[in-house]
Order: sequence, then C-alpha cells, then structure tokens
Amino acid sequence: MSAGAELKPLALRREGDGLAIDWSDGARTLISWRTLRKNCPCASCNEERQKPADPFKLLSDREVVAGSPQPVAMSPRGYYAYQITWNDGHNTGIYTLELLRRLSEPRPA
Amino acid sequence: MQPGPAPIPALERVQHVVAVASGKGGVGKSTVAANLALAMHMHGQRVGLMDADIYGPSIPMMMGLGPVDPQIASFPIDKFGLKLMSLGFLPDAGKGVLLRGPMVAKWVATFLTQINWGELDFLVIDLPPGTGDAQLTLCQTARLTGAVIVTTPQDVSLLDAVKALNMFRQLRTPVLGVIENMSYFVADDGKRYEIFRHGGGKKLATETGVAFLGEIPIDPRVAESGDTGDPIVRRHPDSPVAKSYMALAAAVMGAAAQAGPEALPEVQL
Repeated sequence: MSAGAELKPLALRREGDGLAIDWSDGARTLISWRTLRKNCPCASCNEERQKPADPFKLLSDREVVAGSPQPVAMSPRGYYAYQITWNDGHNTGIYTLELLRRLSEPRPA
Repeated sequence: MQPGPAPIPALERVQHVVAVASGKGGVGKSTVAANLALAMHMHGQRVGLMDADIYGPSIPMMMGLGPVDPQIASFPIDKFGLKLMSLGFLPDAGKGVLLRGPMVAKWVATFLTQINWGELDFLVIDLPPGTGDAQLTLCQTARLTGAVIVTTPQDVSLLDAVKALNMFRQLRTPVLGVIENMSYFVADDGKRYEIFRHGGGKKLATETGVAFLGEIPIDPRVAESGDTGDPIVRRHPDSPVAKSYMALAAAVMGAAAQAGPEALPEVQL
C-alpha cells in the first residue's frame, strides 16, 4: 500500500528567515530557522532541553561565529523526514513531516 | 518534483529495492529472502541480495559460500546468478560480531552506498528481526520500493509482525504485503498438518489493510537445502515449496510494479 493519502509537503523553500512549505492539503506555512533549531529532535538536544536553563552557559567558539541559526543543507531522509545541517555544524536532527507541520505557522497570502 | 531521498550512485541502476522484514526472529526470514531472490531470478529478473543481518549473517551459508579474502574478492559476489553481499563474507565473521547500534547502521549504509550493485531489477534486503538501527538506516538511506513482512501463523509471531508493519508505516515506507511461512505440512500420506496453526498471515493482512502475498509450506528439505548451500527453489524446483516461492516472487514483482512511492521534494535553500 502507498502512503499517498498522507499529508506531505509539495514544495519547500527558504523565505526570509525561515522555511516556507506548501502542503498537500493546501496549507501554506512558515517556520523560522530559530524555531527549527530550538526544536531540534536529536537525542542530545532533547536531553539538553530536559535540563534547567543555565544563564551562565558559555557558547562555544563555533556557536559564537555562527551567529543566528541558518541551514547549510536540508535533505530528504527516506519518505518521512528531512535532515538539517546547521551553520554551527550540528546535523543530527531528523525532522519528521509531522514535526515540521506541528512547528509550522500559517503563512500570510 | 525532484527525486529524493538523496540519490545513491551505487543504487542508481537498481530499479526496485525490496526489504524482507519481520518483527520476530526465527520465522525463516533469511530463507524466504534467499529463495525469493532466486525465484525472482528464475522469473528472468536481474537480482541482488543484501544481507543486512549484521549480527547473524546467514546468506553466505545458504548460498554455499563463506569468508573470502577482501584483498582479492570483488563485491558483490556472484552466485547462482545473484549478486550477494554479507558481513559473513569477511574473515573472522564466524567468531561473532560485537557491535553497538551505530556500527550496525554504518555497515548497512556501507553495503548500500559502497557496493557496486550495477544494473538490477530487484535488490532484496534481508533485514535482521526487530525495529532497530538496521531498519531505520535502510529506510533513511535507500529509496525503498517497499517491504514484505514475513510471519509464521501463530499469534506470538503476529504480535511482532504488527510492530514491524507499523514501523514501516511510521517511516512512510510502503508495505507490499504479508508472507506466511511454515504455514502447514503435508505428510507422505497426503494429510495436512497445521503445526503452527494456520491463517495468521492472512488475518494480519486483512486487519492491517495490506496484501496477502502467499503462504509457504513446511518441508524438511528447506532446512537441508539451506544448510548445504543450495536453496530449495534451485535444488528441488518441482517441490510444492519451490512452486510456492515462484508464485510468491510473481506476487512481489507485481506489488513492486504497483507501489512506486513518491519521493519527498528537495528543499530550495
């Protein structure tokens, strides 16, 4: 059987400071890169989010140089997700289509 | 729409990648994968067989092969008209493999991306039991046409087969159908014995809305043929089991031709 009836993206592109997605149900959405980076689903980011916020946390040199989060690459993984490589070198987050939809906000026409 | 997942040069000329999976171990998955691949070849297809069971590779023995010198051998190895790759071809494989999950994933990805599979109609992948690293890596790396789920008839096996089926659905990989192995045994007197019960595979297919691809009877010659490195479809082509495999191969080929999952679009960054 095919997964054809499931919700899927038809087109994805950079728009301003985020990711614009046109979905198969007609929805047009936007997610800021900052939101995507903050919600990285990889194991280490998940663990980091469980810890109490550390106001004295020092950024690594790479994080300081990278500045605001920007994707360097974003590739399909199988039929169910996208993997993002960020400008700070982080690349272990695999964003399922469901997560991308959940983080999305409607895009003004 | 752009093609994706990221094209893998080693698989560019492979038309269909079909995974043979099960939730539970011991349902005869490798036997099914080996005989299915050979039956497809006997139907005139160009077929490869990749053993993704990194901890317990059994394809080499079933094909009458063993470890080879990787300095001399060229992979994949040709046997019975199939192109074969397995960790069991590497020296010391018989000593057992102690690996954590990420290394299993690395081996599976290596087999998919570094082996020159050439021009094939089908690449059959024999997966280990369960829903772990090998399965995830395969679904993330290769453009799978779909998976077939192997089960035995009894409820305990079905319990785990459902998990495998759900995993593929979660990864949006098409499930081509269910195969019931060890369905029944026909004795010399012609009487039929349903040793592990019967009909579970069909029930699973109906309940989950996937195709039932066929049932394979029990025959002691299946084990004997596997142990002597000459699978039953080749060794006893007129046996009822071999005929079941030929029908099964035709069903899988038909289902694969219909599947054609749509790739995700590339991102315009």
